[in-house]
Amino acid sequence: MKPLLQIISLAGLAVLCAAPLCAQQAGAVRGRVTDQATQQPLSGVTVTVANRSALSQADGRYFIAGVAAGSYTLRARMIGYGLVDQPITVGSDTALVDVTLTGQAIGLSAVVVTGYGEQRKGDITGAVTAVTDSEFNTGRVISPQMLIQSKVAGVQVVDNNEPGGGLSIRIRGATSVNASSEPLYVIDGVPLGNGAGGGLSVQGRDPLNFLSPGDVEDITVLRDASAAAIYGSNAANGVVLITTKSGKGRHGGGFEYTSSASASSVTKVPEMLNAAQFATAVAAYAPARSALLLGANTDWFSLIGRTATGQEHNVSFTNGTDDMGYRLSLGYLNQDGIIRASSTERLSVGINYQQRLFRDRLSLRTSVRGSRTLDHFTPGGVLGNAAGMAPTQPALDPTSSTGYWDWNTTNASPSNPLASIALARDHGTTWRSVGNAQASYALPFLEGLTANVNLGYDLAKSDRTTFIPNNLAAEVRQRHGLFYIANNTQANSVLEMYGTYAPARTAGPGTVSLTGGYSYTQSHGEFPWLQATDLRTNLLGDNGVPGAANITNVRDIVDYKLISFFGRANYNISDKYLAAVSVRHDGSSRFGPGNQWGTFPSVALAWRLSGEDFMRGKWGLSDLKLRASWARTGNQAFGDYLQYATYTYSDAQSQVWFGDQFVTTIRPSAVDTAIHWEKTSSYNAGVDFGFSNQRYYGTFDWYTKNTSDLIFTVPVCAQCNLSNFVTTNIGSMKNRGFELSLNARLIERRPSGLSWTASLTASHNTNELVSINPNQSVSKILRGNISGGVGNLIQVLQPGVPINSFFVFEQKYDATGKPIYDNATPTNMYVDRNGDGVINDSDRRPFHDPSPKWILGHSSYFTAGRLDASFTVRAYLGNYVYNNVASSNGAYQNLTGSGMPSNLHASVLKTGFVVPQYYSDFFVENASFLRVDNINIGYNFSYRGQPFRVYGTVQNAFTITGYSGVDPTSGLNGIDNNIYPRSRTITTGLNVRF
Amino acid sequence: MNRTTKAVSVAAVLLSLSWTGCTDPTVAPKSSVTSANIFNDPNSYRAFIAKIYGGLIVTGQRGPDGNPDIGGIDEGFGEYLRLYWYLQEMPTDEAVIGWNDPGLGDLNRGIWGPSNSMVNAMYYRVFYQIMLANEFLRQSTDAKLDARGQNDPTLRTNVHFYRAEARFLRALSYWHGIDLFGAIPLVTEADPLGVPPKQISRDSVYRFVVTELNAVVGALPPAGASTYGRATPAAAHMLLAKLYLNAGIYTGTANYAGAVTEAAAVIAAGYSLDTSFVHNFQADNNTSPELIFVAAQDGGGTQTWGGMTFLIHAGCGGSMSAGTYGVDYCWGGYRMKQQIYRLFAAGDKRAAFFWTTGQTDSVADIGNFSNGIAAPKFTNKKSTGANGTQMGMVDTDFPIFRLADAYLIYVEANIRGGGGSAATALGYLNAIRQRAYGSTSANFAALPPVDTLLAERGRELMFEAGRRTDLVRFGLFSTATYVWAWKNNVPGGAALAAGRDLYPLPANELIANPNLQQNPGY
Repeated sequence: MKPLLQIISLAGLAVLCAAPLCAQQAGAVRGRVTDQATQQPLSGVTVTVANRSALSQADGRYFIAGVAAGSYTLRARMIGYGLVDQPITVGSDTALVDVTLTGQAIGLSAVVVTGYGEQRKGDITGAVTAVTDSEFNTGRVISPQMLIQSKVAGVQVVDNNEPGGGLSIRIRGATSVNASSEPLYVIDGVPLGNGAGGGLSVQGRDPLNFLSPGDVEDITVLRDASAAAIYGSNAANGVVLITTKSGKGRHGGGFEYTSSASASSVTKVPEMLNAAQFATAVAAYAPARSALLLGANTDWFSLIGRTATGQEHNVSFTNGTDDMGYRLSLGYLNQDGIIRASSTERLSVGINYQQRLFRDRLSLRTSVRGSRTLDHFTPGGVLGNAAGMAPTQPALDPTSSTGYWDWNTTNASPSNPLASIALARDHGTTWRSVGNAQASYALPFLEGLTANVNLGYDLAKSDRTTFIPNNLAAEVRQRHGLFYIANNTQANSVLEMYGTYAPARTAGPGTVSLTGGYSYTQSHGEFPWLQATDLRTNLLGDNGVPGAANITNVRDIVDYKLISFFGRANYNISDKYLAAVSVRHDGSSRFGPGNQWGTFPSVALAWRLSGEDFMRGKWGLSDLKLRASWARTGNQAFGDYLQYATYTYSDAQSQVWFGDQFVTTIRPSAVDTAIHWEKTSSYNAGVDFGFSNQRYYGTFDWYTKNTSDLIFTVPVCAQCNLSNFVTTNIGSMKNRGFELSLNARLIERRPSGLSWTASLTASHNTNELVSINPNQSVSKILRGNISGGVGNLIQVLQPGVPINSFFVFEQKYDATGKPIYDNATPTNMYVDRNGDGVINDSDRRPFHDPSPKWILGHSSYFTAGRLDASFTVRAYLGNYVYNNVASSNGAYQNLTGSGMPSNLHASVLKTGFVVPQYYSDFFVENASFLRVDNINIGYNFSYRGQPFRVYGTVQNAFTITGYSGVDPTSGLNGIDNNIYPRSRTITTGLNVRF
Repeated sequence: MNRTTKAVSVAAVLLSLSWTGCTDPTVAPKSSVTSANIFNDPNSYRAFIAKIYGGLIVTGQRGPDGNPDIGGIDEGFGEYLRLYWYLQEMPTDEAVIGWNDPGLGDLNRGIWGPSNSMVNAMYYRVFYQIMLANEFLRQSTDAKLDARGQNDPTLRTNVHFYRAEARFLRALSYWHGIDLFGAIPLVTEADPLGVPPKQISRDSVYRFVVTELNAVVGALPPAGASTYGRATPAAAHMLLAKLYLNAGIYTGTANYAGAVTEAAAVIAAGYSLDTSFVHNFQADNNTSPELIFVAAQDGGGTQTWGGMTFLIHAGCGGSMSAGTYGVDYCWGGYRMKQQIYRLFAAGDKRAAFFWTTGQTDSVADIGNFSNGIAAPKFTNKKSTGANGTQMGMVDTDFPIFRLADAYLIYVEANIRGGGGSAATALGYLNAIRQRAYGSTSANFAALPPVDTLLAERGRELMFEAGRRTDLVRFGLFSTATYVWAWKNNVPGGAALAAGRDLYPLPANELIANPNLQQNPGY
């Protein structure tokens, strides 16, 4: 984009010209600023002599020229440190004055990684939370995102309970319906692809699994839009910045070995009828079928579940000199799932290398990491069949072709889950490497001007193979075996170039720092897959198909490009008045000509009241900062090529007989060629506060996010396009809420080593779909597939209510609180909301939704001598779950259908439903809960001079909830349909350093 | 600053500028084809017209599901003919299904509303066909072919046939549209996309359809080896016969004379009644001499969860064995209501396949498959007794028009005063009766009163997706004159609410297109 380029260039030139290059006068002051406690150099310290100031550089050195000879008071000041006033005398040459600062509110001076740079925590104008490794969740953590679960206010981390299973993160609620609501992940400055986890992985596992949590140094979450806006079109859902561990220079070198072993058990499974109850139900509702029951007493869930073990080993070696440092790491993880046949195994390597050259002017940082993940999946249908298989039937049958007992019927019926586990195969292998090389060069001709280049890559190759033999009962009935293999590859590359200018001298009353740059991202993915059904033989298993009746072979190629220009200016007056302005201009291949470019600006202001003289020392305040910001961010995380009118060919099974031959057909797609960005406009107001030198500190934020031009697959008028649904920009959505986080070092006794640090987070979010249709009328879109029947949808997108609200009938209850069942006269059973005397679709109404209204988290860390302990508690309030296992299995009709009798959910004993009542709000349950996520106890000692640590962790210790199903947290969509059960995991581990 | 540093700086700056020159984010699709190039392939014209035929039976570009044409409904039951069957059979005296599929129960009970997903999906399927046909007509003009250099005379000839066929298929869907929904918008290839059209009267759409059919009847490909599954002139005559027979309903002015003329044209086209009634509904029904227009299915090549896959699987249930019907398992779906069952007299071979074991005659409980006699009319067995190519997906073609219907149209229109020969009419009626009984024992001596034709149509054409239209024409669909089980949600039956002779326009459609006026009563 030429005009912008010019503006950036001109701005750069202006900076160059304005800088006083060699305005040296008589005297000057130079020296080095260090931390009194650590003796480490401090950068970013404002040193003032008379009316001239300078900032100390990375090596702690500062230089102030143009000081007339005389006596002065040198003032050195940095947030989080005590002010130093030092009398000096300047002669005609350069005076050497080294300064030592004493930390006070150290937290405020901590360096926090932000987009394209770093900032002191106390100077940040946006809502940013950094979590460092000492605060991470412990135990068996497979994906890095789990490290910060319930640690950050406003951030919801949702896992699917499987080992290494796909994770979702929602920062301040969902901002989109059809596009992704996942944040952008940036690892060591390299933005990963968009979508959950950023990048490619085998379906059902998290893409970030390639990164061993042991290699993560800290994770910073850019919660509000003003902080995230520098990432423009990918920032609408927030940004998660992950920094990996690197070499520590001369200090802290050596080997580190961590090892742990774990055991996991199933916490809860669906409540199905036991054998005796089932036999009674069959006798009552399907007496003719009682003879089919074989009198066994089989607990199917206990047969498919297991106590799962896991182990993890990480070795790292760090070393370095003053100018360089490196870290090598090697990790191995093997974790079985609590349902048989599921597991994940990871081998990972990582190298971080950093080097400073040319008298520290050039800094190089390289990070390369790679992993191979081997995933095994429980074959599809095992959980559903464990629920549906009659408990009166035996598990084994030596006379059958599989060796397992199954109903002998041609009609759809539950089948033996153990046969699937034993004979079917479903596994995937993912290879992934992400790396980057970053060079930062402090240009010699202008102090404070740095040029940065960052080259990154992300290569991933992911295979998934599924084999279901043709002799499994369900296959014998219908599909006669399945073989599926997908070999997906994706190669992304990123080039980013940016300059930062942070002049040592003040500009006007404060200091300025400028950042401007260019980013080029491209991605190439190939997604071939092959599916064969109706297998002729099972002989080769998952190695291949010698013969099959139906074979589908597809190859998709997807290319994507994102080109960006960005700039940011920070202005800081005495750490009291802070301003940040940023803009990003993005061009994306996902839009057609004229719609490719979008601009995403942000403005943030902050006022550190505690820096004002009138507040100094009041109420023990060490920090009080008011913040306000506005920003516009974008979202383009959806399919490619939506702007093109494409034609789709039919496959071999959807041809049309045309006269005397089969013809492969073509279908035009419904297209909106003018599709453009989703935009989210956000306001944030916050206050940061701290007392007693930040011993107690906290932050409160209020926000509102308005997403407009929501990309939405919406119904259009039947004659308006080439289908009744088109993906287009229609609709808007609003998220509003607030976040509170409080932290305290409650006990701090240095000599005895006794300490207690605690944190509390609370966040509240309300979501409202404002419109899905230009006419703002009562239109609604149903979604949310459930099991039971065919094509039943349980959720609704309707203006005025939260997205994915459940859309159900209002159940009537009798005096004893039992739901009324009267299928012949539905008006007795449900409230006839429109009073027309019949119960039909018009009587369903939106009723609660799956997202939590309140998320509360608490973490405590204790130390006492050599012992340390911590625990994490999490609570959700106001989240609702549709218990689909109960609704589809909790009806006596499941005993009398055309298939063999299927086991019933225990809810049927209460409801007495004969015909399934999928749309009864009885099945929409309040799933608020309180859970102790994590309890950890460690003991530190040394053996032959080497530090050792042993620890034990319990994850998911217990949950208090009124929800009757398996897990109140599983999944974002709030539909509990035979989900993978949650595990309780006990881990013991050892850390050694030598 | 030393020389090396300078060189590095200059190189870095130049490199940066060269990269920042990359400011075009455009990426053209590689593994998909677009409107820009698809019609450069001469095969694309046939592929496109085949898609419009396929729109009647397959639901998307992956069989049997996985890449749907329309949204907002489960792909399986969002199939055109399955929806049409639901709308034409479920609220009548013929069929009942106990499934909980969304919207289905309300059709059973005659209490559907404007948000009923089956009704809505039918509307979208109708216009999906129309929009495809319009797009085809836009893309296949002589001028477009000239511009693309498609000058092969054989291709030109074929494209002219295809264009006539597209207009026929558009007319067929418009007929379904006015029959089910009344006044609807009329859009042709001349109307631009993206503009919500005006609604016009049922009468005006009717006149458009009649004009179109008369215009294309001579341009359709003559029946022959290369037209199975395609529309021939006889198919256009048949559609005209059906339009004229119901003209009184569509326009207020009857046209029985037109119905007689067009039915006669169909009958003269060389079709004959198959000696075996059931062969018309078997896996090899493509060899029946009676079928005028079909939606062809094939267990291997044309897979769908709708059409015959649905009709064969869903007709099987209770104590029946799926293998008897050449399928893998029974879905336990539709049975007869007692009213239609009781129309069949002893000796009528059209009742030979009824399944009574474990079934009751009356439908007291819709949800229980054992309520109502089962009638597995359609099967995936060939007339030889062999199975179709697969047992999951079926080979049986969906008969949209067959000769027996043309006979009955001739007879009814004649009785109603449309002219033609009464003797010929009696002959047609008795030909049907004779096949049904295997003898002349049940023949009529003279043409019966017209009400008997409704019963005969019920017996002959049961479950062939025409019942609602027939009942409306006889004034019995929504009134209290004739009631059946669960009509208006009462076990014994009652009059439907006012306006139920038409289905409502989809609630979403009224919002998406403010020009639309909902049908009275909704």
